[in-house]
Amino acid sequence: MKKLTIIFAVSLFLLLSAINSYGQSKKITVPLRFDFYYSYEQVVEALKALNKAYPELTTLDLVGKSEENREIYALTVNNPKTGDHLSKPGVYVDGNIHGNEIQASEVCLYFLNQLLTKYSENERITRMVDKNAYYVLPTVNVDGRYHFFTDPNTSSSNRGLRRPKDDDRDGLFDEDFMDDLDGDGNITQMRKKDPYGRLKTDPEDPRLMVPVEPGEKGEWTMLGQEGIDNDGDGRVNEDSEGYVDGNRNWGYNWAPPYVQSGAGDYPFSGIGIKAIANYLYQRPNIIMVYAFHNSGGMYLRGPSTKDQGELLSNDIEVYDYLGKNNEMIVPGYRYLISWKDLYATYGDFTDFTDNIIGSYSFVGELYQSSTETYSPPGKTEAAEEEDFFRENRARSRERLKFNDHVAQGELYVDWKPYKHPTYGDIEIGGWVKMSSRLPHPFMLQDLVHRNAAAVMFSAEQTPEITMEIFEKTKVGKDLYRVRVRMANSKAIPSMTYSAVRKKLYPQDMLKVSGNGVKVVSGGRLTDVYSDRVTYKEHKPEIQFCQVPGFGKIEYQFLISGKGKVQFDFTSRKAKDVSKTIDL
Amino acid sequence: MMKRLFRFIKIPLILGFSMLLCLNWISAQNPSNEYNRYHTPDEINSLLGKLNKDFPGRTSLTQLAVTPAGNKVMMLEIGPDAGKSARTVPAILVVGNPEGDVPISGEATLFLADLILNGADVRTDMTWYIVPMLNPDAVLHYFNKPLQRDTRNARPHNDDMDDRVDEDGFNDLDGNGIITQMRVVDPLGEWIPIPGEPRLMKRADGNKGERGIYKLYTEGVDDDGDGKYNEDGPGGVNIGITFPHLYKPNTPDGGAWPGSEKETFEMMKFVYEHPEIAMTFAFGSTNFCMVAPRGGRKGTADMDNIKIPERYATMFNADPDKSYSMGEIMEMVKPMMPAGMEVSESMIASFLGLGAVVNPLREDLAFYNELTEKYKEFLKEKDAEPKRLASQSAKDGSFELWSYYNLGVPTFSMDLWTLPEVKKEKTDDSELTIEKLESMSNDEFVALGEEKITAFLKESGAPPQYNGAMVINMVKSGQLSTKQMAGMMKQMGGGAAEKDTEGADPKEKALLAFSDESLNGKGFVDWKEFDHPTLGKVEIGGAVPYVDNTPPESMIDSLLTLQVPWVFNLVKKLPELKFVKTETKSAGSGIHELTAWIQNSSYLPFPTAMGGRNQQPAPAILVVKGDVTFLSGKPRTTIGNLEGNKSIKLSWIIKAERPEDIILTIESKNVWGDQKQINIGGVK
Repeated sequence: MKKLTIIFAVSLFLLLSAINSYGQSKKITVPLRFDFYYSYEQVVEALKALNKAYPELTTLDLVGKSEENREIYALTVNNPKTGDHLSKPGVYVDGNIHGNEIQASEVCLYFLNQLLTKYSENERITRMVDKNAYYVLPTVNVDGRYHFFTDPNTSSSNRGLRRPKDDDRDGLFDEDFMDDLDGDGNITQMRKKDPYGRLKTDPEDPRLMVPVEPGEKGEWTMLGQEGIDNDGDGRVNEDSEGYVDGNRNWGYNWAPPYVQSGAGDYPFSGIGIKAIANYLYQRPNIIMVYAFHNSGGMYLRGPSTKDQGELLSNDIEVYDYLGKNNEMIVPGYRYLISWKDLYATYGDFTDFTDNIIGSYSFVGELYQSSTETYSPPGKTEAAEEEDFFRENRARSRERLKFNDHVAQGELYVDWKPYKHPTYGDIEIGGWVKMSSRLPHPFMLQDLVHRNAAAVMFSAEQTPEITMEIFEKTKVGKDLYRVRVRMANSKAIPSMTYSAVRKKLYPQDMLKVSGNGVKVVSGGRLTDVYSDRVTYKEHKPEIQFCQVPGFGKIEYQFLISGKGKVQFDFTSRKAKDVSKTIDL
Repeated sequence: MMKRLFRFIKIPLILGFSMLLCLNWISAQNPSNEYNRYHTPDEINSLLGKLNKDFPGRTSLTQLAVTPAGNKVMMLEIGPDAGKSARTVPAILVVGNPEGDVPISGEATLFLADLILNGADVRTDMTWYIVPMLNPDAVLHYFNKPLQRDTRNARPHNDDMDDRVDEDGFNDLDGNGIITQMRVVDPLGEWIPIPGEPRLMKRADGNKGERGIYKLYTEGVDDDGDGKYNEDGPGGVNIGITFPHLYKPNTPDGGAWPGSEKETFEMMKFVYEHPEIAMTFAFGSTNFCMVAPRGGRKGTADMDNIKIPERYATMFNADPDKSYSMGEIMEMVKPMMPAGMEVSESMIASFLGLGAVVNPLREDLAFYNELTEKYKEFLKEKDAEPKRLASQSAKDGSFELWSYYNLGVPTFSMDLWTLPEVKKEKTDDSELTIEKLESMSNDEFVALGEEKITAFLKESGAPPQYNGAMVINMVKSGQLSTKQMAGMMKQMGGGAAEKDTEGADPKEKALLAFSDESLNGKGFVDWKEFDHPTLGKVEIGGAVPYVDNTPPESMIDSLLTLQVPWVFNLVKKLPELKFVKTETKSAGSGIHELTAWIQNSSYLPFPTAMGGRNQQPAPAILVVKGDVTFLSGKPRTTIGNLEGNKSIKLSWIIKAERPEDIILTIESKNVWGDQKQINIGGVK
């Protein structure tokens, strides 16, 4: 008896450790580790630890609070010696706007970890840090992440914001959540033995089920997600949290819930979302944005709906350059267009950043479950038609073998009997919440490094403007012709073409000034060789411009007078640059 | 002695007492405040505060938002729930002056609150949320000098996207305290004065051989020397166009996003926190009481004719060239969903990217049109035949459109006053004109009769000493022929009926007519020369701002008294759900069939068709309470859409062990419900 008790106690201990194996008890140290998933509290701890370890380079920003009063933090990385953060191009990275898409925060933490721990050790990273201002907000949906870790979930649940909504229109709010009937911390599937069922056991893997042939005797009926009918209305789990999707609640091209499911009542009804919008709006220097999600393995650009029409071709060029390189940095990920290759979304985050902040934005859909393979070298499984909602059977079988032999069974729970209050004798089993949309921790390191590297590639391409006064000719008594060139050695222009076209904010400016001088005329030099200038009629001493990526623009001025002349290029996104000459 | 005294004072006493009673009755119908002038934002808020103070038990005052200039958006709640946290009755939201440039609408909102509190004939089991000014910064413009029509709040905004913010606004160059227009002779000028009314101008039509003379500017100088005049004045955002439905991004006065201004955001937040709001009413520049909200926009998703994009069509086994109804598509999608996953219309609509509704739904237009007829009758009864210019259509991003399309509740509005229509010029063939006179014979002329001739002379502006009788004598005696007369009249300048005002904007004509006839000409500043610092010789003149939508103060009270009470008629139309009949049938062994018939006993549907489409209004639930088991049917049943004066039938099969009292309740936040108690027998 005693032996049995000991065995029982040990098994219980092991079981509990297994449940905790995703790191709830790990200690946070710098450099950060990436072999486990950070709970909400651990993400905050990690940011604080980085801030504490690198006080001169970082600032901890309390962006706001969530519906359940949790704090949303961002970390600013900026080298004050190379300028104030608002004076430099801004790179903004966030993740986990959907509460279940957790590995996005790890990517953000890894990115920070790289920038900070390798500063002054790695030349390229040092230059990257000195050049830009970085705003990294690892967890947008803090309530979602918290509940995803703490509560039983599927890999897709706890996606939305904690804003009560009467989804099933019965007058009650959020009254029928999922239920973890077998108490294993996961919401899996329920099935029932049923001779009239349309499914039968898969001959290859008894955990799977396949449709019966016409006329064949059935075996199983799928009942759906683990749960009971909490509100007695005949439906199971039909009114859980929300449903308000944080990534449909933004103020650009927002549409109400009957048009866009999950939009929320009005733009920025989400408390945390509104706070982040204000945080961004106060950082108008942001020119590059990455928002991480799962899953699928994609880098998506906008527009998010077809009715907006295609982007300007010059902006597409910038996206193509960055996107195609991302495909090579993270093999298997595809660079795609949001509305076209995925689906239309109204009121999403990157449409907001593109059209209101005036940035280039990517959505990174992290992880492909197709990497969970179990096949001999050189052989590829027959490509059965995969539909949008369910993976094909061959893939499922392979993933289960991967689960068995590469993940030691940690991704899948086998079917076990259970007595259900309404359905009677059923079985419960399926993929655990920490599976399918995110990598087993042993694959996490590769995922975070490659995706952080993609962000770094873009960060290195933020505009770098140089100014050259390449000609000064006397054309009369105290009258000079001066030619100025602004050049950009990087791919990202000083302003998106869309922002210029829409007059989103005042354009970049070239200002000419001096105490003893007067600008008689000035304009864009469109052809140096034939002296073709497009003159500005009024106030020629202020020229509105935009410096293209990998390109230049030139201006010509006729200046009268004597003494010092100062040329100031000012830009919201690019770093300002000035030059002075003597007439 | 006392008895004699009493008899003495008996009659005066009785008289006095009855008078007191009468006065009390009269004052119970009259508003507390006076409505004989336009009040500033501070005064409006103070009057609102006074109502709150005078009626403490029935009202509560809330501050919704503070504007960039520090003005307050205040709300007065009137009703039985005032001051309490629980919301027990349906509510109406009344919003005044969303664009801020209609002074009389703020007065109307206050007037409405006043009437409600002072004994208006309207039910008391409801809440009124009254917001007299949604855009107080803009309301202030009416009271500032120089006078200019401006819908923008005080948010600094770089309208021309140059290097400075709010650096070039209007300037009152001629010092008359009014911002009007400037016209400058310019070779590129497109405008010419209208021959019949040279105060007004029209664009020159080259095809007619007209050559433009003037360029038009608003009064001011080019403060920032960029070649543009008054292109970046102080402010700001027009709150009246910042609501989410059909909101236009990237405009000079639309704000950064819908709700980027507190005035808008806090209003929306309040509305969604108060699902008991069953109707909205806006006093502003639109009039949904007079004319239904307009349609004709492109792009509505028609739920009966949906085309499935090709890449989904194969997935659904559908034909991309065929049109399907939403119901058909849902049937196609359901089997493909993972077991237990709910499929809703909204999910399908957003997945397929179907887009928003942008035109009023047919079923809703039915009640709007019916009610406009009733409103016109209502005005006729009061002898008011408003032949005034048409009200404005609701703008994209307006409060009114957001209320109809996003909230899905009956939405009404009223604009109180527009310029009277210009009397139609006589084009009737039988009427006399100078041309006709010229071609007439003397005898034909005389045959017209004295009355017609007198009228003609008067209209033509003939000198007063020439009356009909005199002229007839002159013609009869041969002193004057028709041709001579016509020639003389032409020389005199034609007269009012002959004015060639072709090409004039009808609104401008109406303004001028009203200004001349009712404002002593003060509605229009005559063109006067001025030496402009950069433009040289200009003329300054033009319509005075607000004349076209703000009647003289003496008219306020009568306009409000006439029109505002229509709101109470609309309240009477709000849906009400009642049990028309309930029935139990015993099937033995304690099993009973319970049936209830529920009727919407009022006129308006519950919800509107748009509310049915967007699923936004809170549903009504029929709750069956009692110690019973449900064999068929559920304790909570959602009552679906119920049109006005229609009924539905719901039934349950229940089992009761003992005789039970079952309570049936129609529960809803935003509609008046009902309750019924039924006794059933139990096991026999």
